[in-house]
Amino acid sequence: MVEPVNSSFGKMLLEEVSPVVMVLCTPLVEETFLKNGLSFVETLKPFCNFRNIDVPVRTSSDQLYRLKKFTLRLFYASDIKQPNVEVAKQRLEHVITQAGEKDFQDMKSDPPQISDILSNPESEIAPSWFQYYNKELIRTLSFSDHEAFDHPVACLLVVSSKDEEPIKKFVDLFNSNRLPTDGTMDPNILKHYLLVHDNQDATTERTSKVLSEMRSQFGNNECNLLCTNSSKEGNVEHQANPWASFKSSVSADKLGCALTGDDIVEIKDLMQEFASRHIIPYMEQKVRELNQQISATRKGLRNQFKSFFRKGKVDGPDATKGSMYTYSSTESQIRILGDYAFMLHDYELALSSYQLISTDYNLDKAWKHYAGVQEMMGLATFISDQSKKESEYYMEKAFSTYIKLGKSGFQNATRCGLWWAEMLKARDQHKEAASVYFRICGEEPLHAAVMLEQASYCFVLTKPAMLHKYGFHLVLSGEHYKNCDQVNHAIRTYKSAISVYKSTTWSHIKDHVYFHIGQWYAIVGMHDVAVRNMLKVLDCGYQSKATQEIFLRDFFDIVKKTGMKHEVVGLQLPVINMLSLQVIYEDHRTYASQASALVEESIWQSLEDDIIPSLNSGKSNWLELQSKLLPKKYKESNVCVAGESVKVDLEFKNPLLISTSITSVSLICELTANSDDLKLDNEPSSSSLGPEISTEHNQVTTSGFSSFTLSEVEFTLGGGEKKLVRLTVTPSEEGILKIVGVRWELSGSIVGVHYFQSVPVKAKTARGRRKNKLTPTDALKFLVIKSLPRLEGSIDHLPEKLYAGDLRYLVLELRNKSESPIKNLKMKISHPRFVSPGNHEEELATEFPDCLKKGDEQNIVQHETNRTSSVFAFPKDVSLQGERSLRWPLWLRAAIPGTISLYFTIYYEMENVSSIMKYRTLRMHYNLQVLPSLQTSFEITPSPSRLQEFLVRMDIVNRANSGCFQIHQLSTVGSRWGISLLQPVDTILPSKSLLAGQALSCFFMIKDCRKSGTEDEETMTLPPSQTDVKLFTQDDDEKLFDIVSSPLASFHDSERSCQGPSVQVGPNTVDFILISRLAKSSSPSAVPDLPKILTHHSCHNSIRSSSPLSWSLDGPQTIHHDFLTSLCEIKLKMVIRNTSDGFSSVTINTNDCLPDAAAPTSSSGNQSGWRYVPTVTEEMKLTSDVMGSRLGKPPSSMESSPPFIWSGLSSTKVQIQPLSTTEIPLQISVFSPGIYDLSSYKLNWELSEHKSATSSGTCQGYPYYLTVLQSE
Amino acid sequence: MANTACFIIVGRNDIPIYEAEVGSAAKREDAAQLHQFILHAALDVVQDLAWTTSAMFLKSVDRFNDLVVSVYVTAGHTRLMLLHDSRNEDGIKSFFQEVHELYIKILLNPLYLPGSRITSSHFDTKVRALARKYL
Repeated sequence: MVEPVNSSFGKMLLEEVSPVVMVLCTPLVEETFLKNGLSFVETLKPFCNFRNIDVPVRTSSDQLYRLKKFTLRLFYASDIKQPNVEVAKQRLEHVITQAGEKDFQDMKSDPPQISDILSNPESEIAPSWFQYYNKELIRTLSFSDHEAFDHPVACLLVVSSKDEEPIKKFVDLFNSNRLPTDGTMDPNILKHYLLVHDNQDATTERTSKVLSEMRSQFGNNECNLLCTNSSKEGNVEHQANPWASFKSSVSADKLGCALTGDDIVEIKDLMQEFASRHIIPYMEQKVRELNQQISATRKGLRNQFKSFFRKGKVDGPDATKGSMYTYSSTESQIRILGDYAFMLHDYELALSSYQLISTDYNLDKAWKHYAGVQEMMGLATFISDQSKKESEYYMEKAFSTYIKLGKSGFQNATRCGLWWAEMLKARDQHKEAASVYFRICGEEPLHAAVMLEQASYCFVLTKPAMLHKYGFHLVLSGEHYKNCDQVNHAIRTYKSAISVYKSTTWSHIKDHVYFHIGQWYAIVGMHDVAVRNMLKVLDCGYQSKATQEIFLRDFFDIVKKTGMKHEVVGLQLPVINMLSLQVIYEDHRTYASQASALVEESIWQSLEDDIIPSLNSGKSNWLELQSKLLPKKYKESNVCVAGESVKVDLEFKNPLLISTSITSVSLICELTANSDDLKLDNEPSSSSLGPEISTEHNQVTTSGFSSFTLSEVEFTLGGGEKKLVRLTVTPSEEGILKIVGVRWELSGSIVGVHYFQSVPVKAKTARGRRKNKLTPTDALKFLVIKSLPRLEGSIDHLPEKLYAGDLRYLVLELRNKSESPIKNLKMKISHPRFVSPGNHEEELATEFPDCLKKGDEQNIVQHETNRTSSVFAFPKDVSLQGERSLRWPLWLRAAIPGTISLYFTIYYEMENVSSIMKYRTLRMHYNLQVLPSLQTSFEITPSPSRLQEFLVRMDIVNRANSGCFQIHQLSTVGSRWGISLLQPVDTILPSKSLLAGQALSCFFMIKDCRKSGTEDEETMTLPPSQTDVKLFTQDDDEKLFDIVSSPLASFHDSERSCQGPSVQVGPNTVDFILISRLAKSSSPSAVPDLPKILTHHSCHNSIRSSSPLSWSLDGPQTIHHDFLTSLCEIKLKMVIRNTSDGFSSVTINTNDCLPDAAAPTSSSGNQSGWRYVPTVTEEMKLTSDVMGSRLGKPPSSMESSPPFIWSGLSSTKVQIQPLSTTEIPLQISVFSPGIYDLSSYKLNWELSEHKSATSSGTCQGYPYYLTVLQSE
Repeated sequence: MANTACFIIVGRNDIPIYEAEVGSAAKREDAAQLHQFILHAALDVVQDLAWTTSAMFLKSVDRFNDLVVSVYVTAGHTRLMLLHDSRNEDGIKSFFQEVHELYIKILLNPLYLPGSRITSSHFDTKVRALARKYL
């Protein structure tokens, strides 16, 4: 910390609190000095500051001390009065405005970095004009009547030698003394007489004469001669012009042009002499005088009593009026003593005298005087380096007293505050200084603005710097500046504030600062800077809607005023979601639709595995193929084909609540010629990627030279809305295409640009993923190759919704727009179960459902065997070129309900193989929604009565939510099984259609028509027509569908493989196809276009029987016999068929003992013999009953059976060939009439199949009822 | 309840992580930014004061005209700042303590990244309820 005296404030005090010299001069004197462009006072001013005057001074004490520094203040007598408040105000305003204009030049520059501000030296932080302003502000208060240091100490009377009667002039000058006459200033002051001699146009004789006259008149010592303007030509140039710092308005080099160095020395000497010989001794003397006088009247016990009584006297009137103390009053005298002592640097004396009167003023309630004295005490303690606390206490007291005075005291309070603040600053108490500045803000905005700004600089100077406060006060100050139209200053303060708030996350603060500075820049006409600042507030989603509207409206207003298009990098409106960036392009992989492009690559790859040729052995893909043909550097980049567009999907989000319309959204791309790049392999092609160059690139694209075309999109984003936008670029030449960024226009005047490079580079993931999972730069760089044929394909009328089982005829249409042909087409379908390609191009002659019906001979197509692989190869002669399109039939059958994604990939090769790309694939993707329809299940049980015949129960449930179905036809697949109805069609389904949710069961008989190994072929085959059963009654001439025709048969094949037997079942399986159609009456709600036919395939329905045997007992049903004559012997025949593929040996055990229904069958083998037989009469009675209820009663009531015995063999063993039948004769003997159940036999079979594995089992006999009646 | 009160939680790096205007006075359009300015400026004072005392509640640290800034500094140097025009120091202290508790609960949430904005609506309602209770 510097010594107070040497601090800047100390120096200022020495200048400010210094003796005033009143100057009275004649007009001719002025004239003389105006030759130099200066007035008289101005000429002398630089020489009134004495650095080392070295005058010995003795004031109250006896001790001498030497005065080193001394200053005189010179004023014209006319200026020695209190300045007019209004004039002063205007002058201050002028100072500020001037300073503002000066600052205007560097206003465009960017806000300074905060670190720069902090590293600035202390003196440069605040603008220099503040010093000047403060000085001017203090000057407005000079010559106030409650203080004495502004009162003139001496009077300098100046007369030119050219004046008429100079002596008289001197007298006149003083007589018309314009000293303020209110009586506070002492009129008896030191007088000094000066004669000015102009060397240019006055004669020396006259001057010397006048001088001698003066000396005789006024005394020798009090008169001086000043010779000036020695230079005749008046073009003296001063190296260090002493006036430059005092008068800046005129060009400095003209000042003092007529004064030679000698003149200046003379002036200097004159002033030095005046100060040291006259003023200081005079003041010294005065101080001593006053001191003596005061000690006589005020000091000592007696005087104190006196003054005590005096108080009672003056207690009454209010003492705010300044005129109550005249210069001769004791109080004024003491004050003068204090001030003089202060000026003579005797601070102790000054302080003691101030203390003496401060109590008086206090008691007199002369607050203004009191405050003034307190202020001086503060200054005195400061400058004499006494305790900090004390000086602060005095200043605080002075300040608060001034404030207490209200409006009249505010000016003084301001000065007091300024001094106080300076004092604190000198002691490095910047924080406190700032608060003082804040306190003297007052109500006047301009004044407040300056004070606040000074306060803000104090915060920077505190250690550590309080930057938050700095910013806040700058903003406050800026607001005030703006309120009094000092826009330049407002901008300056806000600009500084921005350096604090630049990266703040305090949203309201940021918006406020940027918005206002933007507005103000617009006011001063710097629209471009305004726009630049306003841009920062556009992303203000958190503000209220009204605020957002204001922001946007002002922003667009300013933009309009600039009258040009602004290109803004990183415009925040709308916000671009870089994560949504998705690049879709086609190299060898082409896509039929948008949806297919979005399918994951792995699905396609697995689908294409078989059909894409692999050149090398092992894993080889197109990339490796390319790497041989391309320089290594292009291996990384993607490949696209000239003339085919690259699509970029990007999400735009509106952060505001207001809807915004965005126009001309397009990509920014650059296409560099391939050849150049190949040559300059070293030069990275990204050198031209800088943002500044890409703007010119855009111009290239718009100005005719279009090596690529860009799409433009327009859309409107509602408040907070997000939109995914597709942008495309289509290169038309070979080369390297780079997608650099995206640009858009906002309200037609702001162009937003977003460069994709700004995305943080993500780690590169597995190569081969197509989308932007690569590093962004890689994903956005394309090698454009020569244009190639591109196959376009579509499937006509593919329904989106259909019922399960729905069979459709579709056409795949393929086109190749280019002239070069393509060949070797192959297709693979992800779900062969759903789609099956036809065999001929445009094969259908008749309408679709009818063509499948029987009788259309052209449709009976033999199967091809190449269906095993799912790849469908188009015939070799198919080649596409030009306008011709290939229409290929496809059959679609919705196999299972659910949502199905169908993927088609079509491989093709180019005929001219000059390109690096030899083949391409077309990928198509469709989604199907399959609704449930009819569900069938079959149960097959062997017919008990017939060999090779089986009963089939078909359960159908309509699972559809709505829609009823008609059953059309049921067919068995293959020629093995013949099918026939058990009931008439009408009884199965009287309503003719199956409603939603309805279930139905119906029965059929199927017959195995398979030839046995032994039997003749001719006898057993059924005509093929018997494999179908017609299940409808109306429209009798309608033909049945031919299930061996190509689509049905091929779909059945795939169904068979898909439905595959879940468990190992025997060979006895039946496949059914149920064909139904949608009833015409049903509402067409669920499915848009009505299906024509639906086929339901049910495969591998096994016959419910565990044994490999089927047998039947042949014999008469009813026999009449006369039991009176003999017992009845009845011959029976058992036919056993081996349905298995192996040899079986069958043992037939007849059992005369009836199994007891209650007890399980006794395992004892052959208990033949008599048993209890009920009486015949009883039995007869029963018979009639039994006759009537035979069907209703199950044969479980065995105990009622009359006895019979198996006659003939009781156990027979036979060997049966596979698939052959054997007959075994059997005989029973019956003893009485009755109904007999001949089920009491067992078949024990043992099957030896071809692989030596044997199985065996036992079958219980079927019930077989025989009625024996007594013949009459 | 105070006429004007603005509550902000300032995380490390002077980033506000929670803001709420909890005063009962009718909202003025420019009030929000003034409040932010005052609170932001007070950060300097808090920075000085926080290390001079072991107490978390720093009482009123700064003022602007008739608005007072009271601050509570947590152990993790998260600053709970309240701008208010009432003089109810005890209420403010209780308010801070309870909000501190709520804030700790937020911190305990494993899904909350310390220093990120507090978006929990539950927290918001709780803070506002506390403001009604104490301020």
